[in-house]
Amino acid sequence: MNPDSLLLTPIFLPLLAASIVLTSKSFLPVKARRFSEYFGILIGLLMPIIFVLLLYPYVINQGSLFLVIGSYTPKIGIVYKFDSLSLVMIVLTNLLTLPAWIYSRTVGPSQSYFTALILIQSATIAAISMTNDIFNLFVCLEVMGLIAYVLISSKQEKNAVFAAFNYMMYSSSSMVFFLLGSFGLYRLTGSLSYQEITNALLNLSSKELNIALICLLLMIVPILLRVAIMPLSNWLVGAHSKAPHAVSALLSGILIKIPLFVLVRVFSISPILKNLTFPLAYIGSATALIGVIFALSQSDAKKLLAYHSISQIGYIITAWAMALNVGIDTTPGAILLIAALFHTFSHAIFKGLLFLSIGTATDAAESRDVYKIRGVNSILSQKGERFPITMICFLVGALSIMAIPPFNGFFSKTLLTYYLKPSINYTILSIAGVGTVASFIKLSRIFLPNKQIKEQTKEFSKEKFPFSIHLSLIILALLALLTGIFSQNIFELLENMFISTSKRPINKTIFFSQANIIKTLYTVLGGVLLFVIATSKVGSKVLHKLKGIKTDFTDQYFHFAITITLLSYFLFV
Amino acid sequence: MIIERVLIFLIFITGFIGLIGVKNIIKKIIGLSLLNSSIVLLFILEASRIGDHAPILVGQEKNIVDPVPQALMLTAIVIGVCVTSLSLAMAVRLYKTTGSLDITIIKERIENES
Repeated sequence: MNPDSLLLTPIFLPLLAASIVLTSKSFLPVKARRFSEYFGILIGLLMPIIFVLLLYPYVINQGSLFLVIGSYTPKIGIVYKFDSLSLVMIVLTNLLTLPAWIYSRTVGPSQSYFTALILIQSATIAAISMTNDIFNLFVCLEVMGLIAYVLISSKQEKNAVFAAFNYMMYSSSSMVFFLLGSFGLYRLTGSLSYQEITNALLNLSSKELNIALICLLLMIVPILLRVAIMPLSNWLVGAHSKAPHAVSALLSGILIKIPLFVLVRVFSISPILKNLTFPLAYIGSATALIGVIFALSQSDAKKLLAYHSISQIGYIITAWAMALNVGIDTTPGAILLIAALFHTFSHAIFKGLLFLSIGTATDAAESRDVYKIRGVNSILSQKGERFPITMICFLVGALSIMAIPPFNGFFSKTLLTYYLKPSINYTILSIAGVGTVASFIKLSRIFLPNKQIKEQTKEFSKEKFPFSIHLSLIILALLALLTGIFSQNIFELLENMFISTSKRPINKTIFFSQANIIKTLYTVLGGVLLFVIATSKVGSKVLHKLKGIKTDFTDQYFHFAITITLLSYFLFV
Repeated sequence: MIIERVLIFLIFITGFIGLIGVKNIIKKIIGLSLLNSSIVLLFILEASRIGDHAPILVGQEKNIVDPVPQALMLTAIVIGVCVTSLSLAMAVRLYKTTGSLDITIIKERIENES
């Protein structure tokens, strides 16, 4: 089969499906609308996965595939570049959008426009992963952002609308700087594609090169804002905790990580950008630690999860930045990139699982306060849940994020930290792991039995528990378990894609080595200890103070300016 | 040439002040719109410096302006309009539910209720 025709499927099939869904919404009766949505998901989300996987042998043999749209010359037409990173990103997105969509069927937002939006989103992410020039990147990032704002505010509650408005103002105004940066680069080099800019930068004088670096920095910081690295992460907590549950799962699972892996391409433009990777690795570790501390101080269950998203993205940024620092063409760099990708994958699974199960629990309890909700199981059984699937799935997610075998979080976190070992990042991330355990013990308490409720409801209600909730939870829980059990095979697949000559493949004995198991035990014990300290009088006072820290709309721009200044310092000094 | 750049910079600064210094959310949206426009103007201005004629190639036109930034800015303007309209829709929703356009009052009212 011709690989060129397959290359466009992840972009055009979802767009086609979205237009089918929207057209049938306007013209067809309700039953046909439902059918068209199922059909749209089938051809827009599932078929691209198959087509992209068919490209796997080409990627291994040729490295990257190029396609010029409309058969223009590469100078004029839009060039798409498909490589192993694009493949992983597209499969990840489409695979994990599915459970969120299934969940949204009963809980909402379940109108046709939601289906159409997530299909367009999948197309945009495919385009982002394949685009080869900076202006296309700008357009795709803006479209991805627009869809995120609509999705967050799709329930039209004022909380959510306000969070979306805040995110939109912040992110759109930062994208103005991105546009300014791309203008500068075009002015200096006369081209927009990554490769040509790289070549043109070699011929610039040192003064012009400095301007070009500032332009690149102006492009990098807005992308880091989307990733929610620590000083730039204010928008995330509101947006991710106030959005509908299915949307939270999508946002935390996929949307915040896609820009990070696009940055791999941007960083390849100039070798001087390597100066940024060390500070970014430290910022990543700090993000992981501070995120966890804030998570521990929250009382709102979904806010707690949102802070954990920040923390876990810190892990990924650390490994990603160290990979770029070593160079992704070298074997150690490639292994770190694989670790970052695998942690992205497992985080997308378990965070989706946690958001959906906690969403179900808080909806049933009609409260989000971790200190007040108790006995979720009996409340859920009132609603018709015969078997505590929600609790079991939550526990799978929680054990996974705490890095306990045999779930996927254990393998990805071990791999990620093992290859960082001599640096201080390893220590910081290990401490953050302790905090993760403590905050999830705190969150798990909502499932503790509550005697008062139990006595009230001996008789089972006749209500039927929505099947789609269970289905989406079970899919994600099984994925978390299976990607844990078959992690070795997944590593081999990734190794084939990213390491051309596997001289020193991933050391597979590290997972169940004595040292690692002891470390896991210590982490859990430390987590229990930290939880006890946090619930003591002094601990809760400190945490209460932390919870009281509030940031204004204007503060965000202050953080933005600080980040640019800090990074430009590291770039030039 | 320098005067035009200074004017564009002034538009940029005006937009930025509107975005972060003013509390009314409609004015914030106007500020964001101005920010976008200033960058669009900058692109068009700088591209027009290498020629005088519109880049419509019928015969053997010479001395044309750089056509690429114009094409890019067309896309950027479309995105800007999308952002503006969506944010205005949100502003309407916020005004209807909280009864205010001041961002601090909106925030207070939302936090008090939850």
